[in-house]
Amino acid sequence: MTDLGTHEPRTTVRVDNVNYFFGEGESRNQVLFDNCIEIEAGQLVVMTGPSGSGKTTLLTLIGALRSVQSGRIEILDHSLSGLRRAELIAMRRNIGFIFQMHNLFDSLSALENVKMAMQLGGCPASEMRRRGTEILERLGLGHRIDHKPRALSGGQRQRVAVARALVNRPKLVLADEPTAALDKDSSRIVVNLLKELTTQEGCTVMMVTHDNRILELADRIVNMVDGTITSDVVLRDALMICEFLRTVELFKHLTPTELTNVAEKMKRQRYGQDEIIIREGEPGEAFYLISHGSVDVRRRGTDAEERRVATLGAGNFFGERALIVNEPRNASCVAASERVEVFALDKASFKHALETSASFKEQIQTIYFQRQ
Amino acid sequence: MGQWADGAARIGRFAAALRSTSPRRGGTRRAVPLAWRNMLSDRRRLLRSISGIAFAALLMMLQIGFRNAFIDSALQVLYNIDGDILITSSTKFRFAAKDPFARRQLYAAHAVDGVAWARPIYGEWNLAIWKNPQTRKTYSTQVLAFDPDQPVFLFPEVRDHLEQLRQPDTALSDRKARRSYGFADAGTVTELTRREIRIIGNFALGPDFTADGTVITSDRTFLKFFAPRPLAAGELADIEFGVVKVRPGYAIETVQQALKQALPANIAVRTKAEWLALETDFQNTVSPVGPIFMLGTAIGFIVGMMISYQVLYTDLSDQLPQYATLKAMGYENTYLVRAVLEQASFYALAGFLPGLAVAVGLAHVLADVTLLPLRMSFETVATTFALTLGMCLFAAALAMRRVLAADPADVF
Repeated sequence: MTDLGTHEPRTTVRVDNVNYFFGEGESRNQVLFDNCIEIEAGQLVVMTGPSGSGKTTLLTLIGALRSVQSGRIEILDHSLSGLRRAELIAMRRNIGFIFQMHNLFDSLSALENVKMAMQLGGCPASEMRRRGTEILERLGLGHRIDHKPRALSGGQRQRVAVARALVNRPKLVLADEPTAALDKDSSRIVVNLLKELTTQEGCTVMMVTHDNRILELADRIVNMVDGTITSDVVLRDALMICEFLRTVELFKHLTPTELTNVAEKMKRQRYGQDEIIIREGEPGEAFYLISHGSVDVRRRGTDAEERRVATLGAGNFFGERALIVNEPRNASCVAASERVEVFALDKASFKHALETSASFKEQIQTIYFQRQ
Repeated sequence: MGQWADGAARIGRFAAALRSTSPRRGGTRRAVPLAWRNMLSDRRRLLRSISGIAFAALLMMLQIGFRNAFIDSALQVLYNIDGDILITSSTKFRFAAKDPFARRQLYAAHAVDGVAWARPIYGEWNLAIWKNPQTRKTYSTQVLAFDPDQPVFLFPEVRDHLEQLRQPDTALSDRKARRSYGFADAGTVTELTRREIRIIGNFALGPDFTADGTVITSDRTFLKFFAPRPLAAGELADIEFGVVKVRPGYAIETVQQALKQALPANIAVRTKAEWLALETDFQNTVSPVGPIFMLGTAIGFIVGMMISYQVLYTDLSDQLPQYATLKAMGYENTYLVRAVLEQASFYALAGFLPGLAVAVGLAHVLADVTLLPLRMSFETVATTFALTLGMCLFAAALAMRRVLAADPADVF
């Protein structure tokens, strides 16, 4: 199988088998368990889960606010593991933090609070006022830039805190319930700005929230329970996969819930032209659904010469047979266009879906035996 | 004025050095005067803080001022002796401690190369009792005497009355003596050690920690009043000081060394500067003056430090989440330390200035009341400012521990 890493888009956050413990000795208590997640640039990721599930701890680890104890975390192509305190501090300057409490200095005006962030960002002094004013205006606070926090409403203060986090145009923003203290209008302004950052500037936003208004805009929802990521759904992909799966004979009888469950498990992979996706004779490891580009199906003839027997396009699938009959691949599949994008469902998830849905199993087997 | 001009120049250089460290801190460009804004954010608290720090500064300034005034007052008589070298008994440890030595040693001093003249001063501190001419109450006093043919004092009034001093039972009295001495201008007749004495004029010296006033007489009057017994013909009375004037062209230290060699071991030969240092050291370390006012200064320092600590601790505690947020944003501890120290320095300056203004006014009043040379010299002001600054910075160093311990992860 091709190394997935080379086919993924630029990764902003990579969390690999991360554990975390509070306390020492007998009072040592594990709060994170073998968490893995990769987040691409430009995603708005919402983290959900019950209180105490480890969302905030994971966020503070990604934000270099705590030292990594076990596992590996990379942000913006830099590993946080084994960094010294000064290096962790330097790393934080690349991140925009938005806290549930605004934590603005009452002694400073709105603009000066924003300037506190710009001081760190290397912004020329002559530019500070213009840039600070610009972002405060975008957040609807152009007429309040010289006001102290005490003279601002709760929503306005939080928007100043958002401006402070975003003014240096960070590539990664970590937010903890940023709209909890906001009214509907303020919340919409803040969320729209965050979404705009992801789509226009490729900024990655990770946000702990229970605000349904944000869930609608999220690209990805990560759910944590008891220190473990229990689900990680890329909504755009899941939607697209469901649309594809509905058109596929094999899946058309699944209920929407069953379809969504399958879609959530599928991972995006990308291939360049002539790259081999599966090879004839090798054991089957995944089921594939083509979302973009074309794939040649090749089989070896009796003369051992490989010949193209079919070309599959977007919406077609392959790789299911080896999983169902538990035999080696009977053909190779090779990327036939410059950019091929597929969604892969690993063998375990495929079989799990098969076993939990009687209709699905029946359908697959019927289809499979019809093919025979 | 010269002292203040020199001091102002030193402050200017210090400020320039401070400014040169200001533009960047810990690699972070400063566009927001956080410390200044924090200090001004709560006007009521600022007023309370300034009042507390000003009180401490005032207390310290007056204590240091009084200490310097007492020491200065003890040195005034030395400043007014017209000589380069003083010869005394080797066991004499301060000016006002009676410890006479044989006058014949002066003749030996005369013979030393480089000595222009050597003249005696007589002194009495233990037996001298002055009667207030108005109230008739008696007080102990300091009596100094010299030979009018060999003047040794620089007081102009003394030099103007040499002829009159030759008359028996006459004296010059200190017009800056404590009010309890009464008013004794020329012509007043009162008592000195239960003997009648006529005042022929006044000079200006003032009281010190041991003497409330001073009387200057001729050697003859002095010996008549205080000699333990009548002197036989040709007998020389013991003296307290031998005042040596060095000939022009001779180095004082060279003549001092020559005198030391010429005189026996029970005679001490010190320059006037050495006597000033000895007296200062005595006042600072042996007399109650140094410890009393040091204690007062220390109390002012501690009170001020507690006030500053309370102010800064409350201020920093109230803003702990904000400081933790700065850490989360990527600010280093060095920035926070400097911001807190800067704020403490602003408090010190803001409290010191009103303290100085009140101290100058009070010093003026107290100098009139106590008759001490109490003034806010550059040294007193600079020392007090350094102590005020140190007190605020020390308080800040204690208070900032919470900020340094703040965990940015707790902000989430």
